[in-house]
Amino acid sequence: MQAVAGVVVLASLYVLLGVGYVLVYRASRVLNLAQGDLMMVGGYALFAAVTTVSASPLIAVPLALAVGAAAGVVVYALLMRPMAGHPVFAAVLVTVSLGILLRVAVVLVYTDQARYPLPAMDLGNPPVRLPGGAAVSTLDALTVISAAALLAGLLAFLRLSRLGIRMRAAAERPLLAAQRGIDFHALFALSWALASFAGALAGVLYASNVRLDPSLGILGLKAFAVALVGGLDSLGGLVAGALIVATVEVLTIRHVNPLLSDVSPFLCLLAMLLVRPWGLWGTREELERV
Amino acid sequence: MAHGSGYFKTTYEADMALVDTRLRRLTLAALVVLLAALPRVASPFSLELVTQTALAAVGALALNVLTGLAGQISLGHAGFLCAGAFTVGILVESVKAPPLVTLPAAALVGALLGTLVGVPSLRLKGLYLALGTLAMHFVVLYAASEYQARWGFNTGVSVPAPTIAGIRFRSGLQWYYVLVAFAALTTLLSVNLTRSRVGRAWMAIRDREIAAASLGIAVARYKLLAFVASSVVTALAGAVWAYYRSFVSVEAFSFFVTIEFIAMIVIGGMGSTLGALLGASFVTLLPYGIDAVVGALAPGGAAPYWLFPLKFGAFGLLMALFLLFEPLGLVGIWRRARTWIVLWPLRYAPLRSAR
Amino acid sequence: MVRHRALTLLLVAAVVVPAQASDAYRIGMSVAITGPAAGIYAPAFDAYKVYFKRINDAGGINGHPVEIMFEDDRGEPSRAAANAKKFSEGVILIVNASISPTYKPLMTEADAEKIPLLFGGGVCPREAFPPAHPLIFCSTSFGAQWDSRFAVPFIKAHAGSKAKVGFVAQNIPVSQAEMEFAEKLAREQGLETLPVIVVPGGSADFTPFAAKLKDAGADWVLSWAPWPLEIGVFEALGRIGWTGRYVTYAHQPAQDDLARLKSPNLFAFGGNAMFTEGLPIHKEIEGAVKGQTSHPPHYLVEGWVSAMVLEQALRKCGWPCSKDKLAQTLATVSVDTRGLRGGPIEWTAENHYRQRAYYKVYRWDTGQRAVVPVGGWTKLDVK
Repeated sequence: MQAVAGVVVLASLYVLLGVGYVLVYRASRVLNLAQGDLMMVGGYALFAAVTTVSASPLIAVPLALAVGAAAGVVVYALLMRPMAGHPVFAAVLVTVSLGILLRVAVVLVYTDQARYPLPAMDLGNPPVRLPGGAAVSTLDALTVISAAALLAGLLAFLRLSRLGIRMRAAAERPLLAAQRGIDFHALFALSWALASFAGALAGVLYASNVRLDPSLGILGLKAFAVALVGGLDSLGGLVAGALIVATVEVLTIRHVNPLLSDVSPFLCLLAMLLVRPWGLWGTREELERV
Repeated sequence: MAHGSGYFKTTYEADMALVDTRLRRLTLAALVVLLAALPRVASPFSLELVTQTALAAVGALALNVLTGLAGQISLGHAGFLCAGAFTVGILVESVKAPPLVTLPAAALVGALLGTLVGVPSLRLKGLYLALGTLAMHFVVLYAASEYQARWGFNTGVSVPAPTIAGIRFRSGLQWYYVLVAFAALTTLLSVNLTRSRVGRAWMAIRDREIAAASLGIAVARYKLLAFVASSVVTALAGAVWAYYRSFVSVEAFSFFVTIEFIAMIVIGGMGSTLGALLGASFVTLLPYGIDAVVGALAPGGAAPYWLFPLKFGAFGLLMALFLLFEPLGLVGIWRRARTWIVLWPLRYAPLRSAR
Repeated sequence: MVRHRALTLLLVAAVVVPAQASDAYRIGMSVAITGPAAGIYAPAFDAYKVYFKRINDAGGINGHPVEIMFEDDRGEPSRAAANAKKFSEGVILIVNASISPTYKPLMTEADAEKIPLLFGGGVCPREAFPPAHPLIFCSTSFGAQWDSRFAVPFIKAHAGSKAKVGFVAQNIPVSQAEMEFAEKLAREQGLETLPVIVVPGGSADFTPFAAKLKDAGADWVLSWAPWPLEIGVFEALGRIGWTGRYVTYAHQPAQDDLARLKSPNLFAFGGNAMFTEGLPIHKEIEGAVKGQTSHPPHYLVEGWVSAMVLEQALRKCGWPCSKDKLAQTLATVSVDTRGLRGGPIEWTAENHYRQRAYYKVYRWDTGQRAVVPVGGWTKLDVK
């Protein structure tokens, strides 16, 4: 039972992180290798808000998320927009340097020391008992709820709202969409904002639940295996991908070799690349497009 | 290749010659003399820097063949290096194998690994391929760390100084010559590959795969060849690294190493041999250059804490700036400068714009 | 003209090491100032800087200033190797405060140039323990084998022999070997043990590992690894409602985390007195580093102790002090740690770790609402 709870919690974290990859990839075919670092920045934004603005989570958390979303727009305007027309790989490399710069900025302000926003907000994180003798922490539970809410919100937004439909159109047939007068740059900026928002949400939850340090970004790499297993352009596939990767990871820890768990997401990725490179729910033609 | 001068080659010999003008011959001779004489004047530290640069150049050239020429993106460069280095480490540790066994073995492991990663490249393109190589990187690192942890090598597996033909390679000076020669050989290989049938096939595949196939290029074979050639050289570089550093340790092959190599070919200028060399020098020497500048500005050695993260940041910033504003890299700057000098005092070559 | 001079200066600076001050003690220090391990090792950089600035301001040692070349190695072997080459020109000692992959290149260089090598912050290498390598010294508070020889009897004394003990290691050889050693020790002492759980350092989530411990029914858990992992696994255990006792090595951040977690079940043992005791030396360090570092003062203690050792060695070495003489002098030091440790650091020709290792245990006291020691110092003879 504990194992099942563990899988769900881990998968939720992966979903929160993976959403960023999928949104940016759908919009611009760019893999944002700085997604993990954007998550870390979200965590530090929370810490900064708590220590300088207000210790109340009701103020600090929305502030951190807003900073996260704004960071996405800034990144798009400063780094990604000028890369339009360059090879995709160059844009991917720009995100790598973005990750380095974010890490340096955080280290310059907060050093490499671990930080804990939760005690600064004077909150606890007591375990929640589940049926079957399992338990998860309050923030674990919140992570699961947030991931579900974020996904539901995003799906509704993309299906139902006018802006969301435009986003899908722009992702599907950029040329046609542009000819119909859709403002690309605004939509791409929005994708980046949403991706960075999701990253910040993951960062806020993870930093409160576990810890905060400048090397958190490594988590992003694992989540990116998740996004690929699910299909890089599919939000629905993300859930399946996250569950598969998390299950494999938890099972390797329990029954095979804990050390292998570190690479198990990448083994899933390799297996998927061999069998079905476009991922579970990804679009098949994607392969030809990149 | 005489730029805008109106001189053209009239014989096949002239066309095939590696150094074609007197200026180039002079430059090359000067370079050889400089490199041979350097140990007489330079401090051991500067010699170490040149040696490191040479080793980095080998890795950068190998990656350039794969990514710059053949257009296959690889995020697994550190994995190939690690595989080569651990082949040496394991063989030396377990059976005390001599370098004449370990080096070919490392090359073989590189070839196998290259094929392994190359085969999916027949199906996968672009980012998907990059992800596959990234996964390979983590798998290789995992295998190496299993070995290292299982046998309890806390500070890495020891590799004693190698003996080849009765000479024991241990001094910094010896390694300087060995690695500069290694880099020179790789450069020669890279130059010749670029201007041969193979290199042209790779470039055709890079530029438009379908067009290349319709020209009769065996796309699958050449793609695999690119992977194998690149990974053999990289694994060899890793093997030499192991001997040069006299130990191997997983921590030396983090994902960041891959990023550094990619930065080298990006900053240097993708697809250019000269670019790979310039990029390798630039990325390797940059942190030390910043040190030297700061040391000159604030003597006394008590450098402030913030300087150190900043040095790391400078690398990220420069990479971003090159990608944004100078996609052709250092070699692009060099070419522009050369054109400017050749044309001076004119600003444009009238014939070229008319062509 | 001016521009030419500046250019020449730059070029010269790039090729030649900064001019040698012939009247100073020249020391090289390779530290992980940045990189993934910087949180643990960068404070040693500040400690050395502050410590020797104080000494130099007061007239230096034997009338000569101490000049330290600080070089960042980011925890990477290649950079450590380049640093070592830089140091080989004229330093009389190399100090290392970084992760173990940087040890080998420094040791190779130290061996080739016969420069003594002092480890002050990172885990002590095997070469510092008896029989010691003549050039390798270690002042770090933690050392393999001895720490478990303290921790296992401690668990036994508090748990009785009926407890089931689990062991948590990180996937680095030194930690793994130590926990396997501890497991063997515990079995020999009649405790019921669970197999060692090895955790990858980069794990996103320690919960699955914690769940494995909980499901196996561990009453006590011992962990000896880098601090983020030690505390990470304990917190993960707490999140899933485990109520056993957790014993772990008290690295520099330990006192903050004991106070943050306020858990009476967490025991942190270590060689350094925590700053919560407020000894005069603690006040002195806090005063000295105020405004000089971005780390909390107690993070600087490993570096500080190592600087104390170095100061004494240089004083005893006199002037001029060659690298050979310094190596011989280091093997005779006996440094009063003034309460930072349980006793002095004494080195002999055979033993470059310490003659006696001292340990103290700390925990959160719910009654006093403070971090308090559990008993006094325990002494172990290192043979």
